[in-house]
Amino acid sequence: MSQTNPRPPRSADRAARAARKRRRNVLVCYLFLAPYLVLLLLFGILPISYAFGLSFFDTFTGAFAGLENYVSAISDFRLGRSFANVGTYVVLWVSLMLVGVAALALIVDAMPQRAGVAARTVFFLPGAVTSAAIVVLWLFLLDPAVSPFGPVFALMGAENRFHVFETIGFAGVFTLMAFFAYAGGWIVVMHGALISLPGDVLDAGRVDGCRPTGLALFVKLPMIWRTMTLMAVLSLANGLQLFVEPQLLGLAGPQLARNDWAPNQLAYQYAFLMGDFGVSAALSTMILAVSLAIALWIVLATRFYRTS
Amino acid sequence: MASRRPPVRIPSLTGFMAMGLLLVALCFFGLPMVWLMLATSHTDAGLFTAPPLSWGSFANMGAAWENLSTYESAYLVRWATNSLIYSIGGVSLSLIAALPAGFILATQVFPGRRLILILTLIAMITPNAALVLPIYLQMSFLGLDNTRTAMVLATGFFPFGVYLAFIYFATALPREILNAARVDGAGPWRVFASVALPLARPAIALIAFFSFLANWSNYFLALVLLSDDRLHNLPLGLTALISGARALSFSAATGIPIRRPEAIMAALIIIVPVLLIFLFSQRYIRAGLLAGGEKG
Repeated sequence: MSQTNPRPPRSADRAARAARKRRRNVLVCYLFLAPYLVLLLLFGILPISYAFGLSFFDTFTGAFAGLENYVSAISDFRLGRSFANVGTYVVLWVSLMLVGVAALALIVDAMPQRAGVAARTVFFLPGAVTSAAIVVLWLFLLDPAVSPFGPVFALMGAENRFHVFETIGFAGVFTLMAFFAYAGGWIVVMHGALISLPGDVLDAGRVDGCRPTGLALFVKLPMIWRTMTLMAVLSLANGLQLFVEPQLLGLAGPQLARNDWAPNQLAYQYAFLMGDFGVSAALSTMILAVSLAIALWIVLATRFYRTS
Repeated sequence: MASRRPPVRIPSLTGFMAMGLLLVALCFFGLPMVWLMLATSHTDAGLFTAPPLSWGSFANMGAAWENLSTYESAYLVRWATNSLIYSIGGVSLSLIAALPAGFILATQVFPGRRLILILTLIAMITPNAALVLPIYLQMSFLGLDNTRTAMVLATGFFPFGVYLAFIYFATALPREILNAARVDGAGPWRVFASVALPLARPAIALIAFFSFLANWSNYFLALVLLSDDRLHNLPLGLTALISGARALSFSAATGIPIRRPEAIMAALIIIVPVLLIFLFSQRYIRAGLLAGGEKG
C-alpha cells in the first residue's frame, strides 16, 4: 500500500509544472507583443475612448453635458451638407474604381506580357503622388492655360480653372485625384487575382468558343468579384475620411477654398478655430463610428481576412 | 505548294473600344507624370507660353531650386530633415513593434490571440484620418502636442505592418525549421532572433516601405500635432510656403520668389523619393499589395 502512495503527488507535481510552463509561455508571448500592444493602446484604444468621453463634456465649463455636443454638431447646418458632399464623392469614386479598375485590369490581362508590365507600371507610378503634392499637381492639370489636357478642356468649353471646377464639380475633382493616385495599386492587386485563376476554367471557356471579351466579362470578372468587393468597401471607408484634398484647395486662392466641405474638416474647425473640443470630439466619434462599423463588418461578417 | 496565309483577324468593335480605353488611360495616368518632370524647366511666364509638354532649360530648373532652397534661410533643409526624422523614426518603431508581434501571432497559440488579431485587422482597415483628431485631443491633454516624440510614436503604431509580418511568418517560415529548433531546446527568443529574423528580409522591406510611404507624405496628423513651423515636415512646410506666397492663385505677386515653378519643384521634392522607391522595389511592393489589399 505504501508503494502506491507516491504516485498521485508526482502527477500533481507534473501537472503543476506543466501549468507553470504554460503560464510562462503565455508571459513570453505577451513580452513579444508588448511594444505593439502599448502602441495599440496609446494610439488606438485610448484616443478613441478619450474622444468618446470628451464628447459628453462641455469644453468651456468642464461640466457634464450629456448629448449637448452631439446636438450642436448635428444642428450645424454645414454638417448635413458636408455629408452630402462626401457622399456624392464616395459614390462617384467607388463607381469609377469598380468600372475603371475592372476594365483596365482585364484589358491589360489580355495583352502580351511585356506590354502588360509596361502599362501596369504607367498606372502604378502616380501612387507616389500623395497628400499635398497631389493637390498642387491637379491644380495645374485642371488649369486649361498650362494643362497637358488642354484640348479636353477646349472641347468642354472651359476657359479657366474656375470653369473647369464648375463643370466637373468639386466631388468630381476629388474623384479624379483619388482615381489617379489609387487605381494603379488596385490594378496590380486585380492582376494578382487574375493570374491565380485556374487555367483549366479559362481553357474551357476558350474551347467553348469564348472570344477575349466574352472570356473577360463572363468568366474572369465573376471570379475576381470578391477582390472587387473588398476594393469597393475599402475605398468607401477611405473616401468618407476625405480631408487633405478639400483642405488644400485654398492654395489656388479664396474662390476655390472650401474649409467645411467634408465632415473631417468640420471636426478640425471646431477644435482649431473655435477651440470647442467637445463638439469636435462628438463629430470625430460619429465619423469614426462609421469607419469602425465598416471595418468590423469586413472582419467579422465576411471572410476576407482569416485570423488563423 | 500553296502558301497558307494566316487568317486575317479583324478586331471586333469591343476590341477597338478596349484599345481606345487603354489609350485614354495611358494618357490620364502617364501625361501628368511626364508634365511634372518637365514643368520646372520653365519660368513662371514660360509655363503659360510654351506648349504644355515641352522642355525649357536646366537654368530655369536650377533657378526654381535655388529660390526654393534658399528662401527664409533654408527652411527647406529643416523641413526635409524633419520629414526624414519622422519617417525613419516611424519606420523603425513600426518594425520594432510589428516583427516580434507578427512572429508570435503566427507561431504560437495563446489566450487572447484571436482578439488581438481581430483588433489589428479592424485598426488596419480603419483609415488613419479617422484617428487623427482623437490622437490630437489626447496628446494635447497630455501636453505632448507640438513635439517630435508624439509624431514618431503616433506613426509607429502601424497595424498593417503587424498584419504583413503575421502573414509572412505564417506562410513563409517552414514549420519543420521551427519544430527542429524547438526540439533542439531553442526558446521563442532564440527561434525569433536566429531563425525567423534572418529569413524575414522581404517582410522587413515591405513593412518599411509601406510605413515610409504613410509617414513621408503625412499631412493631416502633422497639421494637427505640429503648429510650430520649425517642427513641420515637407508637405506641411511646403504647402504653408506656397499658400503664403500665393504662388498658385491669380492674385498679385507678393514679391516672394516662390511662384509656380517653385510650387511644382516643392511637389517634386515630396514625390521623387517615393517614386524612386517605387521604381526600384516594384517586385516587393507588388507582393505586399497582393498580400494585404491596399491601405490608402
